[in-house]
Amino acid sequence: MRVDQQLRLDEQLLLFMDQLEALEEKRHKLNSLIEEGWFSIAKARYSMGNKQVSSLQYASEMEPLVYIETSMLEDGTAEFKCERKENKTEELKSNTIEDIGAKETVSGLRRRINTIQKGVKEEDQETDPQGKTKAESGESTPEHRDPLKWFGILVPQNLKQAQSAFKEVITLSAEIASLQSAIIAIRKEMQGQMKEKQQKTEKTQPEMENE
Amino acid sequence: MPGRGKLIAVIGDEDTCTGFLLGGIGELNKNRKPNFLVVEKDTSIAEIEETFKSFLARSDIGIILINQFIAEMIRHAIDAHMESIPAVLEIPSKEHPYDASKDSILRRAKGMFSAEDFR
Repeated sequence: MRVDQQLRLDEQLLLFMDQLEALEEKRHKLNSLIEEGWFSIAKARYSMGNKQVSSLQYASEMEPLVYIETSMLEDGTAEFKCERKENKTEELKSNTIEDIGAKETVSGLRRRINTIQKGVKEEDQETDPQGKTKAESGESTPEHRDPLKWFGILVPQNLKQAQSAFKEVITLSAEIASLQSAIIAIRKEMQGQMKEKQQKTEKTQPEMENE
Repeated sequence: MPGRGKLIAVIGDEDTCTGFLLGGIGELNKNRKPNFLVVEKDTSIAEIEETFKSFLARSDIGIILINQFIAEMIRHAIDAHMESIPAVLEIPSKEHPYDASKDSILRRAKGMFSAEDFR
């Protein structure tokens, strides 16, 4: 019985060490990626101007593009998974392009007539207060949602590099958060088992002394 | 919005916040409350602590990223947080490289082998 417990404790200790090693490795990667991101931001600032890429340029409306899915496992550890909304915005982009193309081919009319028709349509939409236009304008376009556009339309390549570095950092931080939670949980379990083991040895020691 | 995942919050210097916002974590909710705090020279410790506690209290936040030098200012508040969600991650800043010996989580893990555990 005691041997079993000791073996389990040993296994947990090894797992704990492995997790610590994995955490250190991921931490190292995270730190170098953040540094890479800062360096790219600094380079972008150098080419755009000293006052550029600052907190003053943040948009007044922000919508998150990344979410974290959290789940609690049976052993008390929390798991974090990173989910990006990017695919949806890309779909939206392609849809809008397709829509424009389809309209032009179906109508088959000259530009002049087309514009007159469009004008009539626009008037109709304006008169209808609860029409689709209002609902559509409420939703931000994919272009507006990309934080890169806060800093200008034609931003330097460095800023794009910074963005991709920080995207990786975000994914990595979710992995690190899961690892940290697992480490804390295993530590708690091991502490409990060590105390149990100690109590047992304390009990057996007086018996040995009496003999 | 029901059913969606949780957010990542950031407390850091300007470049750290800018980087993470570029990554797409930024949100301004209905009450115009952001999920980030740009710490400048004149930002008080009380303000940082208050923001950190407000992030802990928010149910829509899953991870809080904080620059380690800022975490040092409110260490007692970070050490007092024992729940696994939201997770607190200490990250380096431009002037202060990451020091594992200061990290709350690693210090807790290190405590595993301290004399206290063998008492």
